[in-house]
Amino acid sequence: MADDIILETRNLRREFGALVAVNNVSVRVKAGSFHSIIGPNGAGKTTFFNLLSGTLKPTAGQVFFKGKEITHLPVHRAVHLGIGRSFQITNLFPNLTVMENIRLACQAMGRDNFRLFRSHRAFRQYEERAWEIMGKVGLQDKALMLARALPHGDQRKLELGMILAPDPQLLLLDEPTAGMASEQVPELIALIREIQTSGKKTIILVEHNMNVVMRVSDTITVMHYGEVLAEGTPAEISANETVQKAYLGALYE
Amino acid sequence: MQSTIPPTETGREALRLFKENRGPLAMLLALILFPFFVALLDGQGPTAVLNNEIGNARFLQGLLIEIFILAIYALSYDLILGITGLLSFGHAMFFAVGAYLTGIAFKSFGWGVGPTLAAVIVAGIVQALLFGLVLPRVKGITFALVTLGFASVFEIIVKSNEMVAYTGADVGLQGVVVPAAWLNTSNERFRLYLIVLFFTFFVYLVYRRFVDSPTGRVCIATRENEGRAQMLGYNTFYFKLTALILSSITAAMAGFFHTVHQPIVSPAVAGLGWTVAALLMILMGGIGTLSGALVGAAIFRLLQFYLERWFGGNATFLIGLVYVLLVMFVPYGVVGTWQARRLDIQRGRERLLRLLHLRP
Repeated sequence: MADDIILETRNLRREFGALVAVNNVSVRVKAGSFHSIIGPNGAGKTTFFNLLSGTLKPTAGQVFFKGKEITHLPVHRAVHLGIGRSFQITNLFPNLTVMENIRLACQAMGRDNFRLFRSHRAFRQYEERAWEIMGKVGLQDKALMLARALPHGDQRKLELGMILAPDPQLLLLDEPTAGMASEQVPELIALIREIQTSGKKTIILVEHNMNVVMRVSDTITVMHYGEVLAEGTPAEISANETVQKAYLGALYE
Repeated sequence: MQSTIPPTETGREALRLFKENRGPLAMLLALILFPFFVALLDGQGPTAVLNNEIGNARFLQGLLIEIFILAIYALSYDLILGITGLLSFGHAMFFAVGAYLTGIAFKSFGWGVGPTLAAVIVAGIVQALLFGLVLPRVKGITFALVTLGFASVFEIIVKSNEMVAYTGADVGLQGVVVPAAWLNTSNERFRLYLIVLFFTFFVYLVYRRFVDSPTGRVCIATRENEGRAQMLGYNTFYFKLTALILSSITAAMAGFFHTVHQPIVSPAVAGLGWTVAALLMILMGGIGTLSGALVGAAIFRLLQFYLERWFGGNATFLIGLVYVLLVMFVPYGVVGTWQARRLDIQRGRERLLRLLHLRP
């Protein structure tokens, strides 16, 4: 057991009634790597993500983060361990400003959450940190706009900013480019790439865009009907015949 | 030497606080002077207010005290519903516990004002914790129904024949005598008026501060998107519980003043209708705005009072009609709509002034 494994799942399984959405998935993610999970629609990728972040509890199996079991951890604890998660469907505070969205993410990491009768403006450190994050994701000029008024691409950036705020070691990104105009995709991917390399972070990415996945990933796990079909480097995966049949074949035929 | 020293941190803070709260302070001053103004209009002279003379000034003070008490109650509901997003159908219980406890402590136990107040605050905390028991388990409409269940049990107990010696059952608690002469509403009307006025003002400022605090901000985030707030690392349960405790203590205090002001506690204040009254007040004033709760309480009581005086039995129908019109034309409440439309209103006024050649 090398300790450079940051996240590990053992025989993870989740049933929804008769449907087995995730079946015996055992995956190991190396610290500092860019690990992508691909698979056709309904392969169980998002369910798998929900199990990792604690939103869903598995029927069986375990999840380990840095060697510690986190299978039954409450959702709000995950961030404090260093796991950040984004959503396939944009999940923000739509009626709050961009600044407030990110500021809340920063405040969560501090110890001032129960200062009942002082203005939040008195705690400058969170605003400064939020400003810094907004610079990173390029939203400073929109700081006072309401989140719901942002164009979709900027909402995805805001979402990224909210996960970055607590400075997590592991980022779970569920289709960060979903619904984005294709010309905006490279920009966001470059941003994610830069975050990973400059911050020595581990990224687990669920993505449909094959070009993106093949270009940026260190390791790819292919899921199909809730099971792991194959795992390897991008070169290995594109050469893998089972994968081609099950997934790529279905797409490109 | 002293005068050359720049203002201290506390001094600057006080100045900032004063500037921030100019509006409410002006309102407070106006309300303090209001009884004197009415007395002058009536040709009574300002000393009438201090001497507690019978007249319009004294009568309107009584009506305003009722409005202040309703405002405190509505504020407490706005904190959990408008700010934190918790829909409770049991809010009447928060108020009724304070009202009944005060009445029983005065009448049956012969307690003084101090111990009674302490008991009311403790009871406020305890009932919030009771609601807190179910808080992590149920959400949304289920929470509303469970809280309705709690409140109904309380209402049944209050109305039960076994409790008649204490609560007066269906008839309600009658003939409560406030043990302190200085707090007596008949003899010391203006003093009670000032006490309740200052308390309302205090609660409003504390609530505004709370909503602006880091804790209040998380309460708003919980209302907006609870799942996301949890995902950011907040254990939302504690934030909801904090809001609930603050709200419950406030509502119980409103109940305390209710009993002090009119020494009769009707079991109606424990019923669902009383919760709906709080809901109506904040809907009319503007949900989640805090100041809307104050406006709503004033509209609610004044409508009820004057329509009943002018139209008698037909008042209920007219009140209903006004509610329908308000919902249709001022959907976000008076304050809420004003905040949303502030820019439009300003622009419209400027255009009007230009049309009238009053402004270039």
